[in-house]
Amino acid sequence: MMMTEQNTQIPSMSLSWTTLAVIVVIGIFSLFSLWMGFQALSSDRPEQSTYYLLTGTVGFAAIGYMFFRTKAVTTRKPDVPKVDVVTILECPACELKRVRDFKRGDYIHKDDEPCTRCEGNMVITGIHRRAEPEKKPKQ
Amino acid sequence: MINVILQVAQVLGGDNSDIGMILQTLFSLSFIIYLFYAQRIQAMTMLRQVEVTLRKVKTIKDEGRRVSIEMVKEVGKPERDPTPDVDRFLEQFVISPVSMDPAGIMGKLDQLINVSDYTNEAEVKAIAPQATEAEAHNIENLLGAAHALNYYYKAIRHFYLLGKKTMNVYIIMQIHMILPLIIKEIEATSSAIQAFRNGMPIGDGVGPLVVSKLMRGHELIDVARETVAAWVPYEGRTLILLKAKGPGGSVGKPGAGVAKILGDDKKEKKIKAVIMIDAAGKLEGEPVGEIAEGFGAAIGGIGVEKYKIEEAVKARDIPMYAIAIKQDISHVIAPMVEELHKATDTALESVKRIVTERTQEGDHVLVAGIGNTMGIAQ
Ligand SMILES: [Zn+2]
Repeated sequence: MMMTEQNTQIPSMSLSWTTLAVIVVIGIFSLFSLWMGFQALSSDRPEQSTYYLLTGTVGFAAIGYMFFRTKAVTTRKPDVPKVDVVTILECPACELKRVRDFKRGDYIHKDDEPCTRCEGNMVITGIHRRAEPEKKPKQ
Repeated sequence: MINVILQVAQVLGGDNSDIGMILQTLFSLSFIIYLFYAQRIQAMTMLRQVEVTLRKVKTIKDEGRRVSIEMVKEVGKPERDPTPDVDRFLEQFVISPVSMDPAGIMGKLDQLINVSDYTNEAEVKAIAPQATEAEAHNIENLLGAAHALNYYYKAIRHFYLLGKKTMNVYIIMQIHMILPLIIKEIEATSSAIQAFRNGMPIGDGVGPLVVSKLMRGHELIDVARETVAAWVPYEGRTLILLKAKGPGGSVGKPGAGVAKILGDDKKEKKIKAVIMIDAAGKLEGEPVGEIAEGFGAAIGGIGVEKYKIEEAVKARDIPMYAIAIKQDISHVIAPMVEELHKATDTALESVKRIVTERTQEGDHVLVAGIGNTMGIAQ
């Protein structure tokens, strides 16, 4: 079928285990470098420590960057948004107002269910998304 | 090359140990590798980001297709499986007319849109025979959203595969540069699935909603395809209210409607102003639901309806006022947010103020609510 054909057309490029191996190698290398740096610092040649420390720091920076990137990729779940929608009903006769969840078939200006307070029918005056609690702005 | 590095390392390191030498060599080597392969590394990074988006879009477009088929089955109760029909619809295309000689292009576009509208309507009726008129319109809208998602997916996939094949940074850059904007559009379209499936009012429906508040309870006249109008007295004036016919999802034909109403008034010349209310894209930083007033034809789309309105209004030489209700692209086809719902009351006050301030008693004023009237009756 057409859809399964499309599936096979996206080649996967998942690098997770290679990334992990690279992180481990760089990690060991960086640790060793840092250790050498501190050794040199306490020895009779402190001027050499700069290079070791620099190498080690750069290694850790690279690890941090890679970790941050893979995390950003894996935690962003692709999903289709669903929101809460409410229907506002008002009685034109006694001005009773009621809010309930949206039901399929609701539309604005529809004569809906009978009023609970008087004889009249309630009319849908509004349908909108339920106000969400303040979200932190995503970057 | 390596000799050079070793020499450099020696100069840098002085008389240090072998391990120090190795470390420095590696350090320099990685720097040189980066010097030559920076672009390739960058290309791979960008390609990866495109891939992530591609996966996301695939999920969303599959969901759109699934929901479309489900809705057709549920409300349309077709005798045969609608899947091939839906798939055929998702691959549908419209070839835009040649624009090198633009004279008469509006007529061509209009005809083209009419043909596709009528055909799609008939097709939806055929695959969903049990659907009501409103439901059939909602199915058309849903299929439209699924079609757009399918197109986005294919376009991104094209650049992704081409970029992967050529590893050309400029090909990858083309899609990578506009990725944030595409993601925004796709997210907007994906939130339409829920709204279109259930027939909820959407952000674009603010124009029809404002007009419907004045229209309710008055006699309606069909003035164009899926477009209704009502003559309503207000403060000694007569408001001619025009909107798409709800509650099914439709934008109607406001151009044809305005042209007809103004044409019918050609002899009497009672209509003294046109007011149009429409949703407008907000800039970043502007609040949602802000009302702005201006002049001109407040209507989007590819321009056919706008052209018709402008032509009709120009022929009469009457002022055209515009009321824009600001919203983000992510609100336009998503279920209407509360701010926009509240903004319709403010916009209604603006309409009333413009009518009382800028027209005389006895005048007729044409008020057109532009937008998709899904979930909004009259
Ligand atoms: Zn009541």
